[in-house]
Amino acid sequence: MAPAGTTMPPRRRRIEGAPSPMRGVARYTPAGWSAHLSPPDRSPSLIGMNARVWIEWRATEQLLRAAGLALVSLLFLPVLIFTAVVALTGIGAGVVPETVLLLRRIAGFKRQEVERWTGEAVPELYVPVAGALGVRVRTALRDPATYRDLRWIAAHALYGWLLAYAAVIVWVVGALVDGVWAGGLGNRAVVLPLVGRLAALDSAWSRTLLEPSADARRSAELADRVEELTATRADAVAAHGAELRRIERDLHDGTQARLVALSMRVGLARRAYEKNPEAARKLLDDAQDQVEEALAELRHVVRGIHPPILTDRGLVGAVRALAAGSGLDVEVTGEGLEDARRPPAAVEAAAYFAVAESLTNAAKHSGSPTARVELTRTPRALRVTVRDEGRGGADDSGGSGLLGMRRRIAALDGIVQVSSPVGGPTVIEVELPCVW
Amino acid sequence: MRVVIAEDNALLREGLVLLLTSAGHEVAAVAASGPEVLPALLEHRPDVAVLDVRMPPGFRDEGLRAALAARAEIPGMPVLVLSQYVEETYAAELLGGGAGGVGYLLKDRVGRVDEFLDALERVAAGGTALDPEVVAELLATRKDDPVDRLTPREREVLRLMAEGRDNATIAAQLVVTERAVSKHIGNVFLKLGLPPSDSGHRRVLAVLAYLDKRFHA
Repeated sequence: MAPAGTTMPPRRRRIEGAPSPMRGVARYTPAGWSAHLSPPDRSPSLIGMNARVWIEWRATEQLLRAAGLALVSLLFLPVLIFTAVVALTGIGAGVVPETVLLLRRIAGFKRQEVERWTGEAVPELYVPVAGALGVRVRTALRDPATYRDLRWIAAHALYGWLLAYAAVIVWVVGALVDGVWAGGLGNRAVVLPLVGRLAALDSAWSRTLLEPSADARRSAELADRVEELTATRADAVAAHGAELRRIERDLHDGTQARLVALSMRVGLARRAYEKNPEAARKLLDDAQDQVEEALAELRHVVRGIHPPILTDRGLVGAVRALAAGSGLDVEVTGEGLEDARRPPAAVEAAAYFAVAESLTNAAKHSGSPTARVELTRTPRALRVTVRDEGRGGADDSGGSGLLGMRRRIAALDGIVQVSSPVGGPTVIEVELPCVW
Repeated sequence: MRVVIAEDNALLREGLVLLLTSAGHEVAAVAASGPEVLPALLEHRPDVAVLDVRMPPGFRDEGLRAALAARAEIPGMPVLVLSQYVEETYAAELLGGGAGGVGYLLKDRVGRVDEFLDALERVAAGGTALDPEVVAELLATRKDDPVDRLTPREREVLRLMAEGRDNATIAAQLVVTERAVSKHIGNVFLKLGLPPSDSGHRRVLAVLAYLDKRFHA
C-alpha cells in the first residue's frame, strides 16, 4: 500500500466551477449523455445497423468495466473486515487510514469512468489524510466522504454486476429482434439502444452516490475562500508595511534632514548677524532654498501617498486631469462613479496610479497618439481599462512600472490583465474588488 | 491695494495679513471657510483676492470654486490662488474665461516676499502669474515639436512669458537688455508659428494655448 499523502492529493481538491455551487451539481441528463454519442443517438432512425452495433458495443465496454470494478468492490469487503478486526482488536489502527485511501482510489477510478462516459466531472471532496498516526486515523474515520464511499462501494458491488448481466441479455434479445427488424427490414433498432441506457443508468447512480452533499461542498468552498483571503490579507499587510517604511524613509532621509540643515543655517545666520551681515544674508538665502526643497520633497511624498487631486475632484476628475497632462489625446469615461458613491480611498488611489502608469507607458512606448480610459463600477468591483492603439509588445520585464502596479493592485485583492500583442493594441485591465 | 484673504489655516492667514499690511496694503476682509469666500468678495470687491484652494467644510477645492464663481459674477476680478500643490487643470480652469487678472502659485512662493508682492501687483493690474512648476509641467509634456527647435535662451524666454512676466522682468532675470528680450520673443513667436502679440495677458494666453490646448480661451 502506498504511504499516506501520495495516494490522494494532499490538499482538498477544489470544486469544479467553484463560485457557482450549482455547477457541480449538474446531474446526468439523457441530453448530456446523448451529446456524448451524438449524432447517431439524436437521429436514431438515420443510422445503420453497423453504426448501432458499434455504439452499443462502446456502452457494453463501459458496462464490462463497471462489472470489473464491481468485482473489485466485492473483494474490498474482506479488506474491510480485515481492517475492522485488526483495528478493533488493537493490533494496529494504522491500517485504517490505508484502507480508507484504497477506498478513495477505487471511488476515484469510478469518478473517472463516469466522467469519461458523461463528459462531466464528478466533484470529489476529501479531507486530506496526513499527519501523525492518530490524526490520520481520526481524519479517515471522521471524514463523511468515507461513509459515502462505503455506501457507494456496497451498492456498486451489486448494480455493477446487475447492469452488466442485463446488458448481456439485451444483446442476446437484441441480436435476434433488431437483427431482423432493423438489419433485415431497415427499421429503427428498438432493443439494442437499451444497452446505452444501462450504461447511462450506471453513470447516473454512481454520480448520485459519489457526489458530496451540497452542504459539504458549500463548507469546502468557504474553507477555500478563507484560505485565499488569509493569503491575500497577509500580502496586503506586508505591502502596507513596505509602504509605511518607504514613507518613513522619504520623510526621515529627505524632509527631516533638510529641516535640520535649515535650522543649522538659521542658527549660523543669527550668530553672524551682528559681526558679518553679508554672511548672514548669504546663510538666510541658503536657508530659504532649503525650505523650498523640503516643501517640494514633501509634495512629492504626499502625491505618492494619496494624490491631492483625488480628494478634490474624485477619481474621474483626477483621471481627467491626468489624461489632459499625459501628452496624448485621451478619452475618459466614468460609469456609476458619481460623487456621492465614491470607492474607498485606497481603491481610488490604486486605480489612479494604475491609470497614471498605463498612460505614461502609452505615451513613452506605444507610439499611439490616442488612448481610452474607462472607469466602470460593477456590483462588487471597480474596473479600470486603459487602451491604446500603439505597437503593443508591453511586458513586465520592460520596466518596473507594470510590476509595481501589479503589486499595488494585488495588495487590494485586485487583478491586473495586460494584453499587448506585438502590433498592438495594448489593453490594460484592472479590477479592484470593493463594496460600494 | 485692498485685499481679501481666504485661508483656513490660522498661522498662514495671520502670516499673510502681516505680510500684506507691512507691505502697505489694506486687508479688507478675511474668510476662514469656503462658504464665507464668495459673499466677502462680492461685498468688498477688493483690488485683488488671495485665496487658498482647499478650505473647510469639504477640504476639497472650495477656494478655487469661489474664485471661479466670483469671476463669473464680476468678470476680470483679480484673484491670486494659492495651493500646497499645483495642477495644470486648475490653471486651465482659472485662465479659461479669457479675462486677465489671474494668479496661481504654490504657497511656497509666498516665502520670496518681493516676488510674491510683485506677482500680486501684476495680477491686480490685470496680468498673469503662473507658477513655474505648472509651466515646467506644460513644457515637459510637449515633445518632438517646434519647442525643441528653440535655443536654450529662447526656451527660457518662453518659460518666463508663460509665467506671466513682462519684458522688463524677463530682461532683468536673464541679465540682458530689453531689446535682446524683444528679439528673442520675436524668434519664439516665429518658430512656433504664432501671430506676434504685444506683452500682457493676451501674450500669456497665446503661449499657454500653444503649450496646451486646454488653455484656449
